[in-house]
Amino acid sequence: MEFRPRNYIAEEQSHSLPRSRADIHPFSSSSPQSILRQVDDNEENRNNEEFFDPLRAPDSNASVETVDGHDFESSSNGNDDSFPVQTKEWTSFKRFLMQRFPVSKMISVSSMSNTIVRSGKAHEKSSSSTHLEELDDPQKFSETDTKVITQQEYVSRLHELKDEINRAWHSEDRVKSLKLSIKVARLLMDTSVSNFYPTLFVLVTDVLNMLGDMVWERIRQKAEFAEDGARLCSLRAENFRACDVPIDAKETCYNWFCKVGSIRELLPRIYLELAIFPCWRFLIEQPSESLQRLVMMTRGIGDPLASAYCRLYIAHRAQKLPSHDTGYLITCLNDITLIFTRISSTKESAHGCFADSKRSLVSLMEPSVEFIMKCILNGASQRWAGKVLVELGLGRSREELFGGSPCVSIVLHHLLKELPIDIVSFHAVDILHLIKCSNDNSYDQCLNYRLVGLRLSEQISQIGSVEAVVNEVIQVVSEYGLDEYVKVVDAYLDIVLQNQMDGHLNTILEGISKLASDKVLAEDELASLQSILVKLLSHFKDLEHVFSLILDMMHGNSRVIVNMHILDMATRNGYVHDPTTIQLLFEISQALHSDTDLVNMKNDDNQQQARLISRFVRMVDHGVEYERHLAFLMECRGALGSIIELKEILVHSSNCLATKALKVGKKHTAFVKTCVAFSEITIPSIPGHIKQLNLYLGTAEVALLGGLVSHSDGLIDSAINCLQSSDWMEGSRTLDSDEMLSSIRKLCSLLIMVPGNPEVGILHIPKSILLIVHSRSPRLKARILCAIISLSATLSQERLPYHADHPEIMGNDLLFFGDSYVRELLSLTESVLQNLVDVIEQEPSRAARGSLSLEACNCIASSFKVGSSYLFQKSYEILMLPSQAGPISYNFIGTTNLCLSRINEHVLSVCSKLIETGKLCLNTKDKYLTSTISFLDKNLPAAAVSSSIAI
Amino acid sequence: MSTKIDLSLSRPNRIYRPSEPLEGKIVVKSASSISHYGIRMALNGSVNLQVRGGSAGVIESFYGVVKPITILSRTLEIRPSGKIVSGTTEIPFSITLRNPKEDNSERFYETFHGTNISIQYLATVDIMRGYLHKSLSATVEFIVETDLLNPPISPEMVIFYITQDTQRHPILPELKSGGFRITGRISTQCSMLEPLSGELTVEASVLPICSIDIHLLRVESVLLGEKIITETSLIQTTQIADGDVCRNMTLPIYVVLPRLLTCPTVLAGPFSIEFKVAIVIIFQSELSRLHPKSDPLTPRLWMAMETLPLELVRARPCASQTIESRRFSMIYFIRTELFG
Repeated sequence: MEFRPRNYIAEEQSHSLPRSRADIHPFSSSSPQSILRQVDDNEENRNNEEFFDPLRAPDSNASVETVDGHDFESSSNGNDDSFPVQTKEWTSFKRFLMQRFPVSKMISVSSMSNTIVRSGKAHEKSSSSTHLEELDDPQKFSETDTKVITQQEYVSRLHELKDEINRAWHSEDRVKSLKLSIKVARLLMDTSVSNFYPTLFVLVTDVLNMLGDMVWERIRQKAEFAEDGARLCSLRAENFRACDVPIDAKETCYNWFCKVGSIRELLPRIYLELAIFPCWRFLIEQPSESLQRLVMMTRGIGDPLASAYCRLYIAHRAQKLPSHDTGYLITCLNDITLIFTRISSTKESAHGCFADSKRSLVSLMEPSVEFIMKCILNGASQRWAGKVLVELGLGRSREELFGGSPCVSIVLHHLLKELPIDIVSFHAVDILHLIKCSNDNSYDQCLNYRLVGLRLSEQISQIGSVEAVVNEVIQVVSEYGLDEYVKVVDAYLDIVLQNQMDGHLNTILEGISKLASDKVLAEDELASLQSILVKLLSHFKDLEHVFSLILDMMHGNSRVIVNMHILDMATRNGYVHDPTTIQLLFEISQALHSDTDLVNMKNDDNQQQARLISRFVRMVDHGVEYERHLAFLMECRGALGSIIELKEILVHSSNCLATKALKVGKKHTAFVKTCVAFSEITIPSIPGHIKQLNLYLGTAEVALLGGLVSHSDGLIDSAINCLQSSDWMEGSRTLDSDEMLSSIRKLCSLLIMVPGNPEVGILHIPKSILLIVHSRSPRLKARILCAIISLSATLSQERLPYHADHPEIMGNDLLFFGDSYVRELLSLTESVLQNLVDVIEQEPSRAARGSLSLEACNCIASSFKVGSSYLFQKSYEILMLPSQAGPISYNFIGTTNLCLSRINEHVLSVCSKLIETGKLCLNTKDKYLTSTISFLDKNLPAAAVSSSIAI
Repeated sequence: MSTKIDLSLSRPNRIYRPSEPLEGKIVVKSASSISHYGIRMALNGSVNLQVRGGSAGVIESFYGVVKPITILSRTLEIRPSGKIVSGTTEIPFSITLRNPKEDNSERFYETFHGTNISIQYLATVDIMRGYLHKSLSATVEFIVETDLLNPPISPEMVIFYITQDTQRHPILPELKSGGFRITGRISTQCSMLEPLSGELTVEASVLPICSIDIHLLRVESVLLGEKIITETSLIQTTQIADGDVCRNMTLPIYVVLPRLLTCPTVLAGPFSIEFKVAIVIIFQSELSRLHPKSDPLTPRLWMAMETLPLELVRARPCASQTIESRRFSMIYFIRTELFG
C-alpha cells in the first residue's frame, strides 16, 4: 500500500479554465451589442469548454413588456440627420410614453379600426366597394360589436401596414401609400382603449414620419435634379429659401398638400399635413404661420385625449423646421389648459368611478403638456420666459410675472419644472401664492410645492426672500397630513438648513413628530422621512445636535422607530467612518438596546433591532486606527452583550481587524495577539457548538496567519473540545451534521498548514477527531473517514499544496519526512480504511449507501497508488456495495472505475462485473447504461471490456 | 416593330394660360423610316353640356346631350410632307393658343369637370400617310387656366349666425327649446390661389356636437330651349370639428380647393358654373344612429345648416392673409381672458 504522489501545480494548470481578459465589467450597464461582441471573441473558448456563464445570460424576466418600436425607428431616419439631438430626444420620449402606460394584452377594437382587423385584404377591393364602405362606416361604427384582438396582433398589423406603405412607395405607387397612411392616421380617431393610445400614437406617428420623410426626399430630389439627372441646384437642409426651389418641385409639393387637404376627416387631415409639414419650406419662406393654423384646426378635435396627442405631434413636427418661434406652442398650451378646465369642471355623473377616469385621462394627457412645455422653454432666456408667462396669462406684465389668474396645476407643474432657475428664485413667493390659488384636481398641489422647493434648492444663495418663502411653506404644510407634510418639507429642508433657520427647523421637526406619533409609516412616508434625516445628518457636523433635536421630541415606540431608522439609514450606504457619527450611533444603539424588552428577545421586532445594531457594528470602520476599533468592539461587548448575533459579529470583526493589521505589514504582533485573545474570550459566551467551532477555527487561522502557533494550537484544542461536548449536547439533526461535516473538513484542511506538535505527534489531532466520530451517524462517519484519508494522503506528499502565509512558520513538509513518518500515516489510514467498509454497510438507506461507497471509491482512487493488491481488495469490496444497493448512477460507477483502472489493471474485470450488474438492474436501453458502456469503450481500449459488454 | 407616336407637353402639370404658347414635342419611335404627307396638330376646346336627372323634365332628359359649344378649333401643319428616319425622332412645336387676330379672350373658359358641364381642351397630332396606311395619331389633354385678373381681390367675408331660429327645416324639439348658437365668418369671394378661409365658434349648444362639416357645392346651370336646368352637387366635404368641441373657441375654416373640380365662377349665356359653401352642424343624437347615412345635405332633425354663395375668382389675393391669422390669435386671447 502506497500513497499516490501528486503534483499539485501541474494538476491545477490542467484543470483550471482558460482565462481571458475582460474589458467590460459584467455588471456595468453596457450596451448589449458590446456584450455580444465579447461573446464572439470568446467563441473559441466556448467551443472547448462548454460551460454556462450566468453573467452573460440574457435577463428576459427583468425587462418590462413593452411594444418594441425598434424596427420602426430604424428606417425613419430620412432628414433627421440635421437634427440629431431632437431625434434622440424624441426616441427616448417615445420609449417613455410606451413604458409609462403599459397595455393590457387584449385590445378591443371598434370596427372603426377595420384597417387593423381585416388583415390586408381590404386594400385590394375595387374602388367602388370601398366607396360604399366609406358611406356605411358611421353606421357600422355604432352597431357592430367590438372585436378583441391581442396587442401583439395589433402591433404586428401596423408593422405590416408600414411595410406595405414602404413597398407601394418604392414601386412608384405613391397614391396607394398615401391612402394607406390616411388609414393608419385614422386609427388615432379611436380613443376607446385609452391606455393603449400613447402606444398607438407612437406607432402611427412612426409610420407618418416615414411617409413625411419619403415625400421630403422626393421633392428635394425633384428640386435638385432635372428629369434627365442633371443637377439643377443644391438645397442645404439648414438654410435654403423657398424662392430657390424650381417651379416643378413646387408644383409637386403643392399637389401633396392639395391631396392631404382633401381628406374629409379632420384628425387624419391634420396628422397627414403634419407628416409632410417640413415640405412647406419648399413653398413658403415662413412655414411657421401654417403651424398657427394647424394649432387652431386642432381645436376642432373634440376628444380631449386625441387633441392633446395631436398637439404633441405638432410640437414634434415643428422641431423639423430650422428655426421656429414658439408662439403657436403657447396657443397649444392655452388650448390644453382650457380642456383641463373643462374636464375638471364637468359635473360628477352617475358613474361611480368618474373621478378615477378623470384622473387617468389627465395623466394620459400629461406627456403632451410635458413635451410642449419643454419645447417652449428649452434653453429659454429669462426675458423670453417672462414673455411666455405673460402670454400664458399668468403674468400681467413683465414686472409682475405671477400676478395673473390661477393656472391649471398640472400645467403649472411642468412650467415650474422648465422655467429658468433665476425666475423661480426671484419670484419664489409669488409662485407659492400662485400654487395656493391653483388648486384643482388635475395635479397634487403638494407636489407643486415640493417641486418649487427642489428647484429653489438648485441655487439656494439666489433666493430673494428666504424668510417669506419658508414662512409661507410652513403655513401651507401645517394643514397637511404626514405624507404630504414630509414630502414638502423634505424639499425645503436644505434651504432651511443652509440659512440656519433653527426656529423653523424646530417647527418642522415638531410637526413631523406630532404627525408621526402613533402611526404606522407607509413606504412613501418612510422614504421622505429618510431623506429628511439624511439631509439633517449630512448637514450637521455635530451630530449630537440632531440627536437631541430628534430624540428629545420622540418618545416611546416612535423613538425606537426613529432610532431604528437612523441606524438603518446610517448603515445603508456603506461603512461608517466618522468618529462622532460612530459615537452617536453607538449611543443610539445603546438607547435602542435599553428600550428593547430583553425578556422578549424572540420577538420579531426586537430581532430586527438586534440585526440593525449588529449591522451598525459591522459597518463601523475606523480606518487605520486599529486599536481604537478594537476598543470600540470591547465597548460594544460590554454595553450590548446581550445580543448573541452581535457577539458573533464582534469575533468576526476582531479577526478581520487582525488580518487587516497583518496585511499592512508592520509589526503588529502584539495587536494581533490582543485581537485573538479578545476573540478567544468572546467565543465561549456564544451558544451553539457549531457556531463556536467555526469561530474557533476562523480565529485559529488568523492566529496562524499572525505566526502565533501556540495560540492556534490552543484554539484548535478548544475547537476539538467543542466537538466533543457537542457530542452529547445535540441529537443527530441532519442540518447540524451537515454543518459539522463541513467544519470538520475545514479543520482537516487547516491541519495541513498547522505545524504538527512534535511532542504529541502530528496525528494527535486526527486521532482525536476519529475518537469523536464513533457515536455519529454512519453517513457522517463515512465522510469524516474519507476526509481523514485525504488528509493523510496529502500530508504524505513531499510538497504540500499550500502553506501558512507567515515567514516564521515551517510547513509540515519541512518538519516531517522519512519512512517512519509515512508509515505512521499509512497505519492510521489502514485502520481508517478497515472501518470505512463497515461503516458504509451500516447505512440503512440503499441509495445513500450506494453514493457513499462511490464517494469513498473516488477518495481512495485519488489517494493511493497502483499495484497495491490489498487496496484493490478493499476497493473492490466497496465497489460491490453500490451494485447491491441497486440502481444508482452507473455513470458515476463508470467514472469511479476509470480511477480505479489507474490503480490496477485488474480493475477491468471489476468493471465488467459492474456492468453486468447494471444490465441486470436496468433496462438495456437505459441512457446511463449505454453512455457508460460507450464511455468505457472509448477510454478502456482493452478488448476484455468490449467482449463482456456485447449483448 | 410598329411605329409609336407620343405627344409630350413642356410642363408636367400641363397647365397653360390662353396668352401663352402651348409647347412640347412630338416623339416618333419607329424601326423603319416613314414617308408621310405632313404632320398636323389640331387643338380643340369645347364646353360639353348634358342634362340628366335633377330638375330636368322627362322630355329634356330624352335629349340628353345638348350641342357642345366650341371654344377653340385650330389645325396647323407642323411639318410638310417628307420622311421620318428610323429610330427616335423628336419634333418640337409651339402654338399660341389665342389667335392674335381675334380678340376672343372671353371665350377661354377654364378647364372644368363637373356633372353636367365639362370644359376640356385637347391637342391631337396626326401623321398623314396617304390611303394605304393608317395615319398615326396621339391625343393629350391640356389644362387651361385663365390669366390672373388685375387688380388683386380682397377676400369678401360674411358673418353668419346659425341658431335654432335660422333653420328652415324641422329640428329636434330639445334643440328647438334648448337652443344653440354658432357664429363665424367665411369668404364668399375667394381667390383660386388660396384656400377657402374663415372661422367658426360654437358659442352655445344644448346638445353635444358630433361633427361640423364644410361642404363645397357646385351649381351647374344649362340653358335648354327656354328653360334653365340647374343642378347642385357636392364636390368636397371638409370636417372642421370632430366631437364636442370647447365652447367659445375659435375654429379655423380652411378648405383647400380641389383642382379641375373647381374653376372661376362662369356666367355665360348658354350655361353657368357657380359655387356654394354649406356649413353643416350635426348634433349627437340617438336618432341619427337609426338612420342610414344618405346625402349629407338632406336636412335632418339633428342637423343645422347654413348655405352661402361662393364666388371663385382667378386673381391674386391681397396680402391680407397673414394679418388674418394674427387676428385669429388675438380674438382667441380676448376670449380666454373672458371665459378661461
